[in-house]
Amino acid sequence: MKLRLCIYFFKTAFTNIINNRLVHMISIGTITISMLLLGSFLLLSINIRNWLGDWGESLSMTVYIKDGLDQSVKDKIESALESLKGVEIKGFITKDQALINLKNSLGDQAGLLDGLKDNPLPGSYEIVFHEIGKYRADPEKIKSDLEKMEGVDEVQYNEQWAERFRGVMNVIRIVGLIIGGFLCMAVLFITTNTIKLTIYSRRDEIEIYKLVGATDWFVKLPYLIEGAIQGLVGGILSFITLFVFYSIFSVKTIQVFGLPVIDFAFLSFDHTVFIILLSILLGFIGGLIAIGRFFRI
Amino acid sequence: MIQIFRVSKSYGANKALEDISLRIRKGEFVFITGPSGAGKTTLLRLVFGADTPTSGQILINNINLTRINRKNLDLLRRKIGFVFQDFKLLNNKTVFQNIALALEVTGEKPAVIRKKTHQALKAVGLANKEKAFPLQLSGGEQQRVAIARGIINNPLILVADEPTGNLDPDITRDIMLLFRTINMNGTTVVIATHSRELLENTGQRIVVLNKGRIVEEIK
Repeated sequence: MKLRLCIYFFKTAFTNIINNRLVHMISIGTITISMLLLGSFLLLSINIRNWLGDWGESLSMTVYIKDGLDQSVKDKIESALESLKGVEIKGFITKDQALINLKNSLGDQAGLLDGLKDNPLPGSYEIVFHEIGKYRADPEKIKSDLEKMEGVDEVQYNEQWAERFRGVMNVIRIVGLIIGGFLCMAVLFITTNTIKLTIYSRRDEIEIYKLVGATDWFVKLPYLIEGAIQGLVGGILSFITLFVFYSIFSVKTIQVFGLPVIDFAFLSFDHTVFIILLSILLGFIGGLIAIGRFFRI
Repeated sequence: MIQIFRVSKSYGANKALEDISLRIRKGEFVFITGPSGAGKTTLLRLVFGADTPTSGQILINNINLTRINRKNLDLLRRKIGFVFQDFKLLNNKTVFQNIALALEVTGEKPAVIRKKTHQALKAVGLANKEKAFPLQLSGGEQQRVAIARGIINNPLILVADEPTGNLDPDITRDIMLLFRTINMNGTTVVIATHSRELLENTGQRIVVLNKGRIVEEIK
């Protein structure tokens, strides 16, 4: 396409926007809000997914042992643990150490434990599985195998929590997709109707252009550009607004229920480009629908 | 230049044209006349490709309008100038811009557009009005702007539907003189009018329509 024509199309699109600025401002504002909500969902779901991913990759497990075991049994348990792929034994917590830890965690109420004649707490091995995804470790099978070993009382791990959070994550993703879908529809609807209004206000001009031999695309292209510009401006404004909110609230780290810290990061460059391109695409499609349904020359 | 073979056009049950055959040669000046509702405007719309016949064939410069695709129709329209009774000017554009838009759609270079627009303005006697807006002009001047837009592409045919319908007799005379000048430069001119005054002592070919049929031809 000739550069001169490109300039003409963009000039016409910008002139349309300026001439119908109020309608376009409302449209761009609504697109901004819609894309802001979409961006927020993306930001939230990406951070939660990353967090669960990191956490899930380093599964920690506590192997409680029975009281009064011989050293040979303990050695067997230890070697069995060491033979597991990707495992690191963080340490052995003796019964006494476990009691001290409990007292420390109770703080002022530690006196409640003074009445105990015997220490009821078991000794335990604290182990961490690194990169369980890589080794395809099945925590449930490891737990059941270890519990069958002589001297092992019980094995606990935090998979239940992880599964629960994965469930929450899936719900967030599905809700995000549904709301995102609705927001995309809203953006399409708004852009389509704004451009329909512009077309309606310029119907005489369109008729004259057609009478003097303008091709359909010569008349239609500025409206498509108009839709894309609305999308672009809405997308950029939503990104800026999201970044401003992110900076103001400055929630860089979150700790939930004593679980690993969430590093609450902003959208990556790819995700930012995705939001803006999606916004442009929705604006463009909105323009396409408007000229397709309304434009009968 | 224009060949119409057994053309009929109906809008629902209403027959606007019925079995019309007409041949207009290159460089001819033809009036289409008849009472209101005779089918004059419908005939011009068919010639212009703004509508398609219900039956029959229309050839413009040997191109069959009933078989033409959208893009080629757009290109053909650049060879057909039009002038309407209501001028069809854009009031938010200057006289210059109104005329230049007929060239803009062809993708012509800005320098060429400027040159040809000035030539067209000069031809219709409005060289000093290029910056005015249509509503600042008289009816006759507005129609001149419409004619300038109609001839700027050097059309093969200039089609005018009641071009003097809103104008007083003196201005009508000027406008008709302009059409004759354009015709003398080689453009085929087809004018639809119901004005008897316009046809008196014209010396041009007159096609009379009534109730969608050609009832008389005066040469």
